[in-house]
Amino acid sequence: MTSAISVRRLTKDFRIGLRGLKLRAVDDLSLEIPRGQVYGLLGPNGCGKSTTLKVVLGLVAPTAGEISILGEASATSAARRRTGFLPEAPYFHKFLTGRELVRYCAQLSGVSAGELASAVEDALGLAAMVEAADRPIGTYSKGMLQRIGFAQAVVHDPELVILDEPTAGVDPVGSAAIGRMIHAMRDKGKTVVLCSHLLGQVEQVCDRVAIMDRGKLVLEGAVDDVLARRDRHILTVEAMTPAARAAAEAALAAHGATVVSVTHPRRSLEDLFRELVTGSRDA
Amino acid sequence: MQDSLRRMLWISRVTFLEAVRQRFFAFLLVLGVAMVLSSVSLRVFDFGHGELKFIADLGFGGLFFFGSVLAVVMTAQLFFSEIDNKTALTLLAKPLSRPEFLLGKFFGAWAVLGVFVVVLAGLLGAVLWAREIELVAAAEQAGKIPTTFSAGGLAQFVLLQWLRLGVVAAIVLALSSLARTFLFAVVVGALAVVAGQLQWIAQDAVLKPSDSAAYDAFLWVSSRLIPNLQQFNIGDALVLGAAGVPAGAVTTVFLSGLFYITAYLTVGALIFRRREI
Repeated sequence: MTSAISVRRLTKDFRIGLRGLKLRAVDDLSLEIPRGQVYGLLGPNGCGKSTTLKVVLGLVAPTAGEISILGEASATSAARRRTGFLPEAPYFHKFLTGRELVRYCAQLSGVSAGELASAVEDALGLAAMVEAADRPIGTYSKGMLQRIGFAQAVVHDPELVILDEPTAGVDPVGSAAIGRMIHAMRDKGKTVVLCSHLLGQVEQVCDRVAIMDRGKLVLEGAVDDVLARRDRHILTVEAMTPAARAAAEAALAAHGATVVSVTHPRRSLEDLFRELVTGSRDA
Repeated sequence: MQDSLRRMLWISRVTFLEAVRQRFFAFLLVLGVAMVLSSVSLRVFDFGHGELKFIADLGFGGLFFFGSVLAVVMTAQLFFSEIDNKTALTLLAKPLSRPEFLLGKFFGAWAVLGVFVVVLAGLLGAVLWAREIELVAAAEQAGKIPTTFSAGGLAQFVLLQWLRLGVVAAIVLALSSLARTFLFAVVVGALAVVAGQLQWIAQDAVLKPSDSAAYDAFLWVSSRLIPNLQQFNIGDALVLGAAGVPAGAVTTVFLSGLFYITAYLTVGALIFRRREI
């Protein structure tokens, strides 16, 4: 089976200023993004993530290299029909309602008239935007904008969904909702490519990650593989007394193992926040 | 082909909705309406011309001036709002080609210009008709030949003005697809309108070759690159029948307008295809 996205030796230079000085945004990047997974593209600001996505989508022409989407040359109409895209900090026509926007995007994406109504309702439902769908977009909060952006990206049931910073500026509850939408897409067998620098969220939702720096790929692999430290182990113990700890340390030492640290497990601030703040508070 | 037309239609529809909700459109429409209506009270200053001619001239002037401003500023604004707000990113990531996007923007803007022309010309027609009734009655009592206006001629004038504004919008879109800023597109677009109004000078000069081949070549190229916008201003002849319109003149002007719209949109689409968004 072909990859969802195949990038071979991609280089992208921008010409800046009147003298046409060359700025290399992406430098000889090669990536194979497998189908049916959530793939995280990480890196600091200006590392070339968004440029890579724009080149993949045909919004920007590559200086060199080849890109294909689902086995078809990128930037073709056929490839785009099978792809959904949520840009960074999405901005939509404020005078349209959420439902009108999703309908408009469905029409542009080639959804047939017979399937239009159900496709729009499905996408709004997936993005949890049914209640606010008839409000003008100008009245939406940042989180709602991201969610309606997600709905317009998936309304034509694409096989590949590309999300550029989908949780930028969104609070933890909204962020968790977007995480659930991403999981829902994966459960439906879709490929999701996520571009972000919110590492905690990427770790939670992605199967594989690639890390870019200064336009180059510096690491790529399955999340579990790249994060696991095979030389260390964690034991979580309940009701441990000082005597039990001393005995455990002695037993481990007898086998040549050393206890490096003993601490109490912590929950994340995000988990605590989500526990304390309940209900949808995005309105 | 059908899918492509459909996509252009969706883009046009949203472009139209965006434009008619703008205060700028409403503002210019109100100014144009005010100018046409003011002709009724200003008709005493008709400088010796016929009253209907004075009213018509004021209406034509309003249509020309405010229509040109709308065609330049609104078209550039509709294009740059998509680029600057990055809504174009969302749209062009869909199976929508760049020429379809550009043509969709054009037809949306042109539809708004059509509304503008029809409203102002409709109002002008109503004013002319109301005054014509009174003037005809007065002329009959005085035993004079009354001045009348032609509703059919007004309809042809509306079509030609709509076409003229379409040519201006197409030029502005071609410029916008190249320009980096809204201001540049507006300033150069306005200059193009002025150049189009003065294009007949270049056409006249072409007929009188000079000693300089380079100068002649420059005149020849500019007289073909820049459309003659004056040719659309035959309102007097069409509406009041002051001077007869030669047979086929309207058709020639109409075809010339269509040619320039097609040419400028083709250039714009070719430039826009290579633009990085």
